[in-house]
Amino acid sequence: MGDVKSLEHPTLKVPYEVLNKKFRTAQKNIDREVSHVQSSGNEFEKCLQKPTVSVGDVTQAIGNMVEKLTILKRKADESLQHEIDAARVIKRRVDHLKEVENIPAGAKPLWQKKRLDRMIVEFFLRKGYYNSALKLAKHSDIEDLTNIDLFLTSKEVEESLMMNDTSACLAWCHDNKSKLRKMKSCLEFNVHKQEFIELVRQNNRLEAVRHARKYFSNVDSSQIQDIQKVMGLLAFPADTQILPYKELFDPGRWHTLVLQFREENFKLHQLNTTSVFTAALHAGLSSLKTPYCYKRERDGKPTDCPVCSKHLNEIAKPLPYAHCANSRLICAISGCSLNEHNPPMILPNGYVYGFSALAMMASENDGRVVCPKTKQIFHLDDAQKVFVM
Amino acid sequence: MESCTAVERELDKVLAKFNGLKDHSNNTLDELVSSLHSIGNELQSEHDLTPTQTEILTQTLKRVRESVQRLSTEHKDLHGSVSKVGRSVDRNFISDFTAVTPDTFENEKNNNLLNEVICEHFLRQGMLDIAEALTEDARLEVDSSRKAPFLELHRILEALKCRDLGPALEWAYVNREILLAQRSSLEFKLHRLHFIELLKQGTCRQREALLYSKNFSMFGAQHARELQVLMGSLLYLPQGIENSPYISLLEPIYWEEICDVFTRDACALMGLSVESPLSVGIRAGCKALPPLLSIKQVMLQRQVPSVWSSKDELPVEIDLGKEYHYHSIFACPILRQQSNENNPPMRLVCGHVISKDALNKLSSSNKVKCPLCPVEQISSEAVQIYF
Repeated sequence: MGDVKSLEHPTLKVPYEVLNKKFRTAQKNIDREVSHVQSSGNEFEKCLQKPTVSVGDVTQAIGNMVEKLTILKRKADESLQHEIDAARVIKRRVDHLKEVENIPAGAKPLWQKKRLDRMIVEFFLRKGYYNSALKLAKHSDIEDLTNIDLFLTSKEVEESLMMNDTSACLAWCHDNKSKLRKMKSCLEFNVHKQEFIELVRQNNRLEAVRHARKYFSNVDSSQIQDIQKVMGLLAFPADTQILPYKELFDPGRWHTLVLQFREENFKLHQLNTTSVFTAALHAGLSSLKTPYCYKRERDGKPTDCPVCSKHLNEIAKPLPYAHCANSRLICAISGCSLNEHNPPMILPNGYVYGFSALAMMASENDGRVVCPKTKQIFHLDDAQKVFVM
Repeated sequence: MESCTAVERELDKVLAKFNGLKDHSNNTLDELVSSLHSIGNELQSEHDLTPTQTEILTQTLKRVRESVQRLSTEHKDLHGSVSKVGRSVDRNFISDFTAVTPDTFENEKNNNLLNEVICEHFLRQGMLDIAEALTEDARLEVDSSRKAPFLELHRILEALKCRDLGPALEWAYVNREILLAQRSSLEFKLHRLHFIELLKQGTCRQREALLYSKNFSMFGAQHARELQVLMGSLLYLPQGIENSPYISLLEPIYWEEICDVFTRDACALMGLSVESPLSVGIRAGCKALPPLLSIKQVMLQRQVPSVWSSKDELPVEIDLGKEYHYHSIFACPILRQQSNENNPPMRLVCGHVISKDALNKLSSSNKVKCPLCPVEQISSEAVQIYF
């Protein structure tokens, strides 16, 4: 169960953040409608307090009130349904995670395969391989177990930013205003700054000043220096070679904005900066990595060791080796482990193999064995026992 | 398990509360609307509002205002339950699961390598469309010649799963030489399965079965015993194999076995590992992460600086299980260190193996007493061994 605990935080936390957001929207919606009811209540009261109250006025007020109440009912019902749906998403995932405990051993590989696919989907989404991610999620039927929706929203924002369009990003900022403020995010400020830069680049300097007045006049005092620097742009042409203004005009800043947006979006949903997939792969490769995997003299014989496979070998290079306090020997011929039933035997050239494999080879070759590494030929009787504790 | 149930418990509470509030708000509002309606209906018949009616209306109005205000408060009160879900997720699951190193896949080259590994992983499973989508998305350059063997492998396996031996037999025939050199019994086993299928149909196809047995001639030496069993079963054909001592031939295990045998031999022939390295790597990682994370936590608590990214070895031994042991590892029983090129394992005259460093430390003037048994010997007679 340790693996579920260690690996599945984002699987549950992201839909929780969605639920939390739904809750806040619901509260806002309900409060708005409630205040409408209250204000129509105020009018009603005023109408009742008149010295003579005409029935016509009252009927109208009642009709008004009924209308407001119906809207409130509809909105409350809708909002609560959204919240229930969001909570059910989490529940479905919890159910899936719980499954692993109760399924028979035979079905476990399938669950693990699904887990791998889930991890890969998330990895793809993080890398922006949306098409592959969607296809894989559909193929493995794990759409509601992965955070696809979250990434698809961010895809839209990222794409519009890359096309130098800030509207989607600003709308997103507005949507998540309170959370971003809590995180002390400067994304919105940076977007406005970029807009300012674009205005200057278009030589629309008057508009730029207006823009600056609108957005920069009430920012944090810590950003004052930043603003001063950016305002300095007004004095320079767009093709200036003078630093730091040349830097500010760099179109690459849009890409930086995309990266910042991605990071804030992850933070907002409590996502780690690394994906579960790479974290698990690193841990796995590291715990499998032995010095043997990097010996040059490796004979061409294929092994099932993942670290020995071509690409993963390269990827695992900077990772730490597995720690082994106890010897464990494997026969290089048969791949079986060496123990009291299959004792390790040393050939005169110093190479160690399992007794079973040597004996089988000897029985087919009149008692002779060929060392697979050096191709030297020995008699089985020349092999001696080795004791490895 | 507890972590899931803990979250589930909070979730169930929240769901119950949402559902309760939803029903409650619908009922209350319906009731308010209908009481307003009924008052409205009463009014229409009369001309002026009596003081009683004004009073009733004021009361109803008060009730409406209170009810809607309560509705808003009740919803607000759910916030506690909602955030409990979040807290229980945080408490029961680990949010920072990076254990080994910071992401090395930021590096372009590694990223491409990883993408290629993933691509191969999907090709292996015959998930061609996803491999293609990835090639496009990640702008990989995958040689189509690399795809072909996987596709063939997958095609044959699918056929075998549908109990169609044709493609596998064809493949085994083409690769016979290499398979025999690998000491593979794949082809024999395929023929045997075909033969058994013929036997199953009883006497009507015994001629065909007899003719087919010619295919076994070349396996005579290697599989003599199994051949005798197969041919012996012909004796009982009239009464049906299922009523004979040869009933074991009909067990479905042969079909289950053949897929494994084929995969193993075909992968060996193509120089591939039997299972996708990515699956194995991730599975190992899922086992290794929990202990690594707990040791990381301990190290952080004790304020051991920079966990272990720069070190050569992980800080603890991780027991992945036997099936993950691919290479021999020698750890010196004296120094408790893994051997390496500078410190190789040495076999003493008595047969015990210790590391070279240990041997040097234990010996004085070219003499050493084995630390594991009473034998005294000359240190230079120890020989280096290779696993």
